[in-house]
Amino acid sequence: MRKSWLRDYILKRLIYSAIIAWGILTITFVLVRVGPSSPADKYLANMAARGQDVSQVIAAIEARYGLDRPIHEQYFDYMVNLFQGNWGWSFSTSMPVIDLIKTHWVYSFQLILLSSLFAAFLGILIGVYSAVKQYTRTDYLFTFFSFIGVSIPNFWLGVMLILLFSVKLGLFKTYYDTTLPLFSLANLKALVLPVITLGTGMLAGYVRYTRSAMLDNLRKGFVTTARAKGLPERTVIGKHVFRNALLPLVTIIMFDLGSIIFGGAYLTEIVFGIPGLGQVSFNAVFANDYPVVVAVTLIGTFLILLVNLVTDISYTYLDPRIRYD
Amino acid sequence: MKTGDNVVLEVSNLKTYFFTRRGVVKAVDGLDFHLRRGECLCLVGESGCGKTVTALSILKLVDSPPGKIVEGEIRYDSLDLVKCSSKQLRQIRGKEIAMVFQEAQSALNPVLTIGDQIMEQIMLHLPLERNEAQNRSMALLREMGIPSVERVMKSYPHQLSGGMKQRAMIAMSLSCDPTIIIADEPTTAVDVTIEAQILGIFRSLKEQRQLSLIFITHDLAVVAEIGDRAVVMYAGKEVETAPVSEIIANPRHPYTAGLIRCLPDISRPADRLVSIPGFAPNPVELPGGCAFHPRCSEGMPICSQQAPPVVELSTEHRVRCHLYR
Amino acid sequence: MTDKSQDTARATDSPTYGWVRLAGYYWQRTRVNRLAVFGLAFILFLVVMALIGPFFTLGPTLVDFEQKNLPPAGFATEKSVYSTATGELTITRVPGDWKHPLGTDSKGRDMLAMIVSGARVSLQVGLLATGIAIFIGIIIGVLSAYMGRWVDNVLMRFTDVMMTFPFFLLLVLIIFIFGPSLAFIVLAIGLTGWTGTARLVRSEALSLRTRDFILAARAMGATGGRVIFRHLIPNVVSLIIVIATLSIPGVILAEAALSFIGLGDPTVASWGIVLEAGQSSLDTAWWVAVEPGIMLFLTVLAFNFLGDGLRDAFDPKSRI
Repeated sequence: MRKSWLRDYILKRLIYSAIIAWGILTITFVLVRVGPSSPADKYLANMAARGQDVSQVIAAIEARYGLDRPIHEQYFDYMVNLFQGNWGWSFSTSMPVIDLIKTHWVYSFQLILLSSLFAAFLGILIGVYSAVKQYTRTDYLFTFFSFIGVSIPNFWLGVMLILLFSVKLGLFKTYYDTTLPLFSLANLKALVLPVITLGTGMLAGYVRYTRSAMLDNLRKGFVTTARAKGLPERTVIGKHVFRNALLPLVTIIMFDLGSIIFGGAYLTEIVFGIPGLGQVSFNAVFANDYPVVVAVTLIGTFLILLVNLVTDISYTYLDPRIRYD
Repeated sequence: MKTGDNVVLEVSNLKTYFFTRRGVVKAVDGLDFHLRRGECLCLVGESGCGKTVTALSILKLVDSPPGKIVEGEIRYDSLDLVKCSSKQLRQIRGKEIAMVFQEAQSALNPVLTIGDQIMEQIMLHLPLERNEAQNRSMALLREMGIPSVERVMKSYPHQLSGGMKQRAMIAMSLSCDPTIIIADEPTTAVDVTIEAQILGIFRSLKEQRQLSLIFITHDLAVVAEIGDRAVVMYAGKEVETAPVSEIIANPRHPYTAGLIRCLPDISRPADRLVSIPGFAPNPVELPGGCAFHPRCSEGMPICSQQAPPVVELSTEHRVRCHLYR
Repeated sequence: MTDKSQDTARATDSPTYGWVRLAGYYWQRTRVNRLAVFGLAFILFLVVMALIGPFFTLGPTLVDFEQKNLPPAGFATEKSVYSTATGELTITRVPGDWKHPLGTDSKGRDMLAMIVSGARVSLQVGLLATGIAIFIGIIIGVLSAYMGRWVDNVLMRFTDVMMTFPFFLLLVLIIFIFGPSLAFIVLAIGLTGWTGTARLVRSEALSLRTRDFILAARAMGATGGRVIFRHLIPNVVSLIIVIATLSIPGVILAEAALSFIGLGDPTVASWGIVLEAGQSSLDTAWWVAVEPGIMLFLTVLAFNFLGDGLRDAFDPKSRI
């Protein structure tokens, strides 16, 4: 009985996510079409800058992009293209958008992964410790620092780190070296400052949320029961309290940090010159290369959608109370 | 009071204070009592009189920043529980002295299965393998009269009814064969039929296993059903201690007498329910002298000036009242 | 002799008296939190600076290459000059000047003027964009809660979609499409940041619907509109104030980030733009990067402290 319930639930969530995905694509489409300059204009500007004959180009665009066709046909094409992986052509780099993504996503991935691990690991540890030692000076210190961490503009932090460690102390290079092989120690070293930049804001968030979730549970009845059973304190906190704190923690982290990660990563890549998708989008904006900008936005959005879906389904494992909803 | 070789627990001059922003709350202020093997001692009193704090103090489960055991001795098996190390205390909790709490839903961990919670205690204290612990848990649950024990072992607290949860808690407390079980108002939160069943379980435990019980309640009817001796508490102090039969038939302290008068008697016609006039005192600002004097029908001038001492009316009967000097 | 009892009755009758007394009570609770008070003080300082500052400072766009790269007053940098005539490298000490108390950037623009101008921009964007976002959020939240299941479903799905977009990426996309003018930036932030407010307002409204005092009001014959205004709004006001205060830093940072990457309005001197300039002159004029950043940091911190303090003060469960 339980298995089929799970299957139904997953199905329901998948359908729901599909609806949201449709909404995302539609809104993006609307935004692009509603803009003052059509995609054609941007392409025109590009081509004109390269000295091409305008009227010829217009004809070519209209033919290729079907801009002379009615709007709903364009919409349909747009959806179909996206599904087939035909994400358009990047003017500024002269390659299909999808290839551009393929070459650059690794850089974003490693930055986000390392920063998240750093932030989660350290953040949860500090948060738990802070909650257990509430009202002590260490707690006040950590809380104060997490306030600061949340408030520091992350792009400024990046610049300050560069100022201090690269310019004044000369410990790191000022820009990310793209020639380094990915799985090398040198690459790791080059990522230290960016990871600290992106990770600090996330770290502060983790500390605050973990602390609050733990505090909510520390005064609950089952904690006294656990102690009355003779369990050592670390089991009481680590097994009993933490398992209960995990659910609200996961909720908040998935919803809040999902958005913050991508914005933060975008800025961090620009500050440090890391050639990830954020940098790609940034270059595309100034080259008027709209398919790329749209593509990166959609990638970020769909990743969040995926994370939300996975989180929703993992709730059923974390909180037994909602299984027989 | 004669304390013989049969005494398993002796509490002397227990003082547990809470240091709050609004003042010091003397939740337990100089309490003495002892518990013999195989007997059921009831701690009786209104809400806030200190009975729960007493129970928590025995196992040092009182919330330590505001609360503190400032004085007193709790002798168990040649150890003073107040002064022993945490390691020794953890050997006693759940193994020699176990506790059953008032509200099973909040006392049980909502994200762990019943089986997990019982087995955790067994495997902590007893040198049993996992499957042996499992068998032992299921045997206990069966003994409590719980049907389909396999299913219950895998269930989560919210899936069980109130009565079943309470039985599971009792099974959990029995799991390591304790000498003493402290039950903190285990029947207050359940309806009368379940209350009768649970009292039945405690009675048979006392008879068959020679278990010593400290039973906390505000309900004199429960005391009459299950208690051997009773300690009546008011504002953190003992006001009368006697065998239950004597307390019911021959209450000496005005408060005890008042409590008994409050019990409606179905055999006698009455048009108004009797109650003790006034309210429980503000724990931070207790009345001077005898704490009960503002509500006492037998008040004398000395009651507001001097705190009454404990008087031994017989070997088994003590009262704290100026009436008996 | 005046009839005092009548005066009191009249005074407590009007809804505004209730508001004043309530506001006073909440202020008392907030005051206790020293960090919140510091936050408020700093914000007031910013407001004053933004309002009257421009009258006292030099123009932020005044370019003066003679005075370029001056350090702040009290600091000194070294300038090495290679003289082709003598073939010597002389190092002269260039001290800061009180004429440019915070120094100048690589084009000679006065830092203090730019900081003041940046404060104006940040506060304007912060307040306006947040205002728009909260306004939209309230409308959607209330509509969702009171207009029936179908409307609620559609609006909430729409909210879900908008929430899935990563805030900053969506912002970049919109500005890319519509152009980087300050008005559009404010509009864009407002149009993308309402989702949190909408959710919270909706859930408060829904929970209030079934609360006893609303049922009592309806039983007494209160119509929908009256219920909304006299009962619903006062209860969500405190919630909204907290949300607003805590959203402003995000908005200010968003605008600064956009300016930093070059998508800001080039005609105004926003802190983000100054910071961007600062990054390229880190070795010669480090203060250009440090100063706007400190201001951003303190501003965000101030709003966070204040918002947190207000939230604690408004929470009926916490005892201060």
